[in-house]
Amino acid sequence: MNWLAILDFARGPFFEVALLVFIGGLAYRLMRILLLGWHFDRIKPAGSKLGGALISYLRGILIWPFIPWVRNTFSKNPVIYIAGGLFHLGLFAVIFLDAAHILAWQSLLGFGWPSLVTPIVDWLAAIAIVAMILLFINRLVNPVLKLISGPAEWLNLLFVFIPMLSGYIMAHHLFFAYEVNFSIHMLAVDILLIWIPLSRISHFMFYFFARAIHGADFGKRAVIP
Amino acid sequence: MQAQTAVNTFVHETGGWVASQLEACTRCGMCAEACHFYQGTGNPELAPVWKVELLKRAYEQRFTIIGKLKLATGIDHHVTDDNLLHWSKIVYEACTLCNKCSMVCPMGIQLGPLIHEVRTGLSAAGMVPADLMSAVHKQEAEGSPLGVTDSVYDDRLEFFEDEYEIKLPVDKKGADTLVVFSSIEIMKYPGNIAAIAKILNAAGENWTLSHAGREVVNFAFFEGDNEETVLFLKRIFDAAKDLGVKRIVVTECGHAYDAIRWTAANLMDVPEGVEITHIAHLLGELVRTGRIKLKEGMYDNGGTITFHDACKIQRRGGHIQEPRDVLHVLAPKSFKEMIPNRAEAICCGGGGGVIAIKEADPYRYAAFELKVDQLKKVGASTVVMGCSNCRLQFDDCVQHFNLDVKVAGLSQMVADALIE
Repeated sequence: MNWLAILDFARGPFFEVALLVFIGGLAYRLMRILLLGWHFDRIKPAGSKLGGALISYLRGILIWPFIPWVRNTFSKNPVIYIAGGLFHLGLFAVIFLDAAHILAWQSLLGFGWPSLVTPIVDWLAAIAIVAMILLFINRLVNPVLKLISGPAEWLNLLFVFIPMLSGYIMAHHLFFAYEVNFSIHMLAVDILLIWIPLSRISHFMFYFFARAIHGADFGKRAVIP
Repeated sequence: MQAQTAVNTFVHETGGWVASQLEACTRCGMCAEACHFYQGTGNPELAPVWKVELLKRAYEQRFTIIGKLKLATGIDHHVTDDNLLHWSKIVYEACTLCNKCSMVCPMGIQLGPLIHEVRTGLSAAGMVPADLMSAVHKQEAEGSPLGVTDSVYDDRLEFFEDEYEIKLPVDKKGADTLVVFSSIEIMKYPGNIAAIAKILNAAGENWTLSHAGREVVNFAFFEGDNEETVLFLKRIFDAAKDLGVKRIVVTECGHAYDAIRWTAANLMDVPEGVEITHIAHLLGELVRTGRIKLKEGMYDNGGTITFHDACKIQRRGGHIQEPRDVLHVLAPKSFKEMIPNRAEAICCGGGGGVIAIKEADPYRYAAFELKVDQLKKVGASTVVMGCSNCRLQFDDCVQHFNLDVKVAGLSQMVADALIE
């Protein structure tokens, strides 16, 4: 098999198509939501909606994902909660702060930024992979997750796991020739890009809606700040 | 056929507000960790994410390409009448709309209000538990779900005036404040009424009660029927307009406060310049400004006192600090917090109409087990709250679980500690 040709395809036309689907699909879904209509809230606020929304974002990003013991809610299975937080931390570090990925961003956007030192990215990536395995096991055994998981939920895990794992293998030059690892990684990324607008991985976009709604409501009622 | 009505209502109710939150859900299942009904029973169908599944399906199948594909390929199915029966059971009997789940949702999805939307659809389809429905009908016909008709109201007020030696002004034009009690207080906790009257009189407040606006409880809001909710709210607003008051004070009832303070203006025109507040806020204000004086440390010698946060008055109402300020005066040494507390507090399990539904009793008791745990951990000998509906649940459950805990209302504790 000619892996170089596959790599060219996966990095070239296939990637471009995938990127188009990704951007076009998300744009469509965003417009769809925005155009559904929004009611004007006529309730007289007791506190600041904006302040509430800002605090809601900060808490959501900085505190909740890593401190499950806050207010004692997750005392029963803190590991799963932390796994979710660490998975996202690792994912962001790898996508945005890994030297090789910054090169890819540079070729896409025309500019780059400083990277995190490789060993740290490497550890975060490994942690994210382990976290994903924990989350997978949890989805298998937790009764609520069993009830709400359909094919899409399993595919979500799979389509994120393969790029993570293949990227890790590639960075460490394991098992196969470099161009083989690279091809597998790129193909997996392309498939993921196409899958995102079709699935709930797109939550990163709607996160901002939900957090703002939550924070504004709690701010309005003077519960936070 | 009923299913179609429900789906149509869901579709009608679904704007960007609902849709964006449904889209944000990653199906991580964290909300179940927060839900006292799931934690108490272990039944995964009581997880908040499953409770909104019906709304999610209706939204996806109507508005999204993926939803339509799932329907065409048989991965997903149309909503059926049987589905409605299932969801009617879990959203009315095993949910108090306390919104604790939204506190742990990594996305911050407002699951409580979304489940209220599910109730709205089920209500349109007529899939409401019979007990709840009959209470709504009773409120429509008699002005109160607990049968407080005009004449019963008069009899009760007369009785309170004699029994507690208090003055209860009714339909007093030119009063500043209209106080609206819940029928739970009128029929079951008359001490609350006496207490609030005593406090307001001591503070020199120019206040009144009203015949037309005598019931603050809104069973249609429990049900999710917007039209009826407006009808019941209108009775209070009309009374406020007639009497020309500047302020409406909701007494110890949580859901009613959510309806009149945080929902009414989005459903109907509310009278301008009339402030709506809760007695918990008023108590805090009266103590802070010195309009009433309390015996400091009055309750310090009777064991540990703890405060139960009502979901609709504290987490959804914002009056978290005021009751604590009051308790720090009344029992500075023996007041201790349960954990979790304040906005993160665990709900009593009886609100949202649950306690009015006989079939919901097993769920209600299971949910209360978390509260039993909290009470034991803090070593409480008295638990105070500012919601009569919570108090009904606590009174019943303290008996059911055979707990040695005294259940008290905040206003009554304040009234008993007044320095005349």
